[in-house]
Amino acid sequence: MSNRRSRQSSSAPRISDDQIIDLVTKLRQILPEIGQRRRSDKVSASKVLQETCNYIRNLNREVDNLSERLAQLLESVDEDSPQAAVIRSLLM
Amino acid sequence: MASAYNPIYTDVPEKDVFALHFLQTLSNLRTQNSFSSPDNKTSDRVKKIKKAAYVSMARAAGGTNRLWSRSLLHQAAKRNNKNVRFLRRKRRVTWLMRRRSNRGDPIEDVAAERLRNLVPGGGGMETSKLMEETAHYIKCLSMQVKVMQCLVDGLSPK
Repeated sequence: MSNRRSRQSSSAPRISDDQIIDLVTKLRQILPEIGQRRRSDKVSASKVLQETCNYIRNLNREVDNLSERLAQLLESVDEDSPQAAVIRSLLM
Repeated sequence: MASAYNPIYTDVPEKDVFALHFLQTLSNLRTQNSFSSPDNKTSDRVKKIKKAAYVSMARAAGGTNRLWSRSLLHQAAKRNNKNVRFLRRKRRVTWLMRRRSNRGDPIEDVAAERLRNLVPGGGGMETSKLMEETAHYIKCLSMQVKVMQCLVDGLSPK
């Protein structure tokens, strides 16, 4: 592992500018809000990261809500209703 | 020597792959006796469904090919006390990677830390790898949310 220490100051695994631009572009496409407001090319990386964190937290919250509703719906489905038929046809 | 520019792959599978995995996991849950018994508390059911959602998402997104999905499946298997064998990958030393990535902007690193806590398996990654995993994770999560929303819409009474 000693050769890794000597490579610390080299440029090998450092993230290059192209990669940063590419990643930020991709994240901007995914994140719904930011992007159009900035005119300059210098993106605020911290802002993008912050928005990403918020977006992930929102998605987790969505998953929680949907799981709760799914749990209620699944237990209240009785055997002969059309919903049960739908489930059965999907699961076959 | 200029570092080679590696294009970042963040393609995710189609929605039906996610739907299929989720429905399969759900049907496995339902066939378990403990799931539909009346003395099972609702909160347990919710937790099981939530866990099923994350596990099926990890499987649909590529199983063990992605760092975040590996870490998710590993955590889930540990909670089940299952004996799962994963291929040992060469992992770099974490503190060394932290030192490398800490040379950037301090504000950026605080946000990167928060991101590391949110993305499964993020603790051991370099910042560039973390960004790549994050992008893929976000895409898969939003796909999973869409699938669950469709299921809920289809099941709720008109």
